[in-house]
Amino acid sequence: MKHLMTVAAVAALAPIIFGAPAMAGNIKVGSVAGVTGPIAELVAPIVAGRNLAAKHINAQGGLLDGDTLVLVLADSQCDPKAGVDAGNKVVNVEQVVAIVGASCSGATNGMVQSVTIPAGIPSVSDSATAPSITDLKDNGLVFRTAPSDAYQGAALAKLAWDAGYRKLAVTYANDDYNAGIAEVFVANFEGLGGAVTANQVHEPNKASYRAEITTLSGGGAEGLALFAYYGGSGITIIRNALETGAFGKFMAADGMFDISVIEQIGAENLRGNLMITQSASDPENNSYQLFADAYRSTGMDPAAPYASHGYDATFLIALAIEKAGAADPAKIAAALPEVANAPGEIIRPGEWEKAKAVIAAGKDVNYEGASGSVDFDAAGDVPGFYSVNTVNDDGKFEMEFLR
Amino acid sequence: MDQYYGYFLYLLSLLTMGGIYSVLTLGLNVQWGFTGLFNAGIAGFFAVGAYVQAILTTPIYARHLGGYEWPIPLAMLAAMVGSAVVAYGVAKICIRLRADYLAIATIGIAEIIRLVFKNEGWATNGPRGISQIPKAFEGLPQPWNTLAFLGMVLVIVMMIYLALERARTAPWGRVMTAIRENEAAAAAAGKNVERFRLESFVIGSALMGLGGALMAQYLKQIDPQVSDPLTATFLVFVMLIAGGSANNKGAILGAMLMWTVWSATEILTSRLPDEFAIRSAYVRIFLIGLILQFILQKRPQGILPERRPKPHPRLRGDPAPAANTGSTKQ
Repeated sequence: MKHLMTVAAVAALAPIIFGAPAMAGNIKVGSVAGVTGPIAELVAPIVAGRNLAAKHINAQGGLLDGDTLVLVLADSQCDPKAGVDAGNKVVNVEQVVAIVGASCSGATNGMVQSVTIPAGIPSVSDSATAPSITDLKDNGLVFRTAPSDAYQGAALAKLAWDAGYRKLAVTYANDDYNAGIAEVFVANFEGLGGAVTANQVHEPNKASYRAEITTLSGGGAEGLALFAYYGGSGITIIRNALETGAFGKFMAADGMFDISVIEQIGAENLRGNLMITQSASDPENNSYQLFADAYRSTGMDPAAPYASHGYDATFLIALAIEKAGAADPAKIAAALPEVANAPGEIIRPGEWEKAKAVIAAGKDVNYEGASGSVDFDAAGDVPGFYSVNTVNDDGKFEMEFLR
Repeated sequence: MDQYYGYFLYLLSLLTMGGIYSVLTLGLNVQWGFTGLFNAGIAGFFAVGAYVQAILTTPIYARHLGGYEWPIPLAMLAAMVGSAVVAYGVAKICIRLRADYLAIATIGIAEIIRLVFKNEGWATNGPRGISQIPKAFEGLPQPWNTLAFLGMVLVIVMMIYLALERARTAPWGRVMTAIRENEAAAAAAGKNVERFRLESFVIGSALMGLGGALMAQYLKQIDPQVSDPLTATFLVFVMLIAGGSANNKGAILGAMLMWTVWSATEILTSRLPDEFAIRSAYVRIFLIGLILQFILQKRPQGILPERRPKPHPRLRGDPAPAANTGSTKQ
């Protein structure tokens, strides 16, 4: 009996283990993400964005001669150790031709330096924003659809200056993402002539930040620039600041962009007092809307940070495979900037069939993505486009695109 | 053909990571296996080694301390010394603590070390970490660079193994066993228990520092997340206990085996449909806990149990003039 059950279990597992990967007509692309680890809750919508792109592509004729795009998920845990391990698995065991990911900058840095650059596999990260990735000697293999932090910090600083702020206190959560934006923000705000009265780092996930707020409130700042994730520390800090009356005006980056901020603090407290920048695409360019509608129909919220970047990264790799005419990593790497940048016929999210026809006719394509126009520069970075979000009379965020 | 070459390269990466973890488990074996010191702060000493290696070898970069560009072997030596010095300071203060109190103290110390690296941004680039760390043999073409690095790791593991086997069967190792089994009796036999515990702690921590130095090279990128307690402390404990505490072969076997389980299970789970693939990532962590539970319940001595060294033939009660020195003197 026991023996029989073992046989049955092996028989049930066999197709899972040996079946799917080796089938002809599949082109595999690695999907490396911090599925577990500190940003797990942000990663799930990003992975959903990547999967949506794969679904669109496969539903509209697939790659090349009807090949299926298969995304192979691997967990980078937001840790370079796991990132390198995940990279090794997708590159060597799964033999992927390109990689979307990894999520966190540290894991991405480890994965590309020790696995994908030596192996010659192109990678497009959808949420690694560390400036150090720009500096890598990557042989033209490392791209990202997420703009480097350098841009968002600068955008928010200019926004604050233009809104009339001259003296600000700054606090940031002690993680790579928020620390990076804060650093750029401070440099830019001071560069414009503003004064930073206090600049304090805080550890996320504490029950109270009153001590930090007290330190920050000395110096007569007109507002608080807050760089944190809403769930980690952001909401608590705003609440503590309002309770103690230390600050009434807040500005924040996209880690704070979530409706729960309004729900928990109350729209009446935030109306006119909060602005949040977020990586965004021009609403007059209807790419974002195309993506948002499709993404919403899967039951997800398209405003989730980097979900649209995940979609774009996956779509771009597919376009590059199509353009290269073969599932060949070196050709894909060379084709990536060609399909992302002008000149060429404009392709928007979901328009895979059209893209396939244009490429088949031997013409250039220029992908205008959900997250922006995604034009790669020489370092494989995209310029940042941002919106500013404020709280409107209905207690919702109102978005204004920054030009 | 490509597929088999890929499997081969993946095997190399498994062995490399397994080898680096072997250095850590061997270090822990000196502390926990030999002497019974419950060091729950492996991640801290590991991080010291990793950061020393990174800072001493990286070219100059505006965001962190660096630009010393030491040769790699010298930096690895410095990483060991760095970890040993930190361990000496820690041991001076808390080596007298009994098992569980030492565990609590070392957990705290590891966390302090991690937060220091996270917050002293001028030296370590804070949470961003240090990138572009030079790696031994990286100038060679593929796959020779991978093979050469793996070779270096395995030679280091072998050297540590031989040295620790020698130490284990030597009087020094037997004193350690005596302290582990019955501290009072060891003290009554005239052994300076505190000094031996300190020696064991410092040697073990130096090896953990070496593990950190190897890891920093292999990953080419370190940040505070690398010394996350889950994968840098508890996984190492699971490896040692699964392989066989106090058995050096067991420590290496445990590291290789558990890393393979940790890494290779994902090849299976990534085959599942999307909605399960995300959830199953957590199942892998659960699996490690389950294995530990199972081993602790069913086979507490590990896969390869401890083997006590045989007494020297001369001392085995043979009718020799030196028969009255029955116990070994240190």
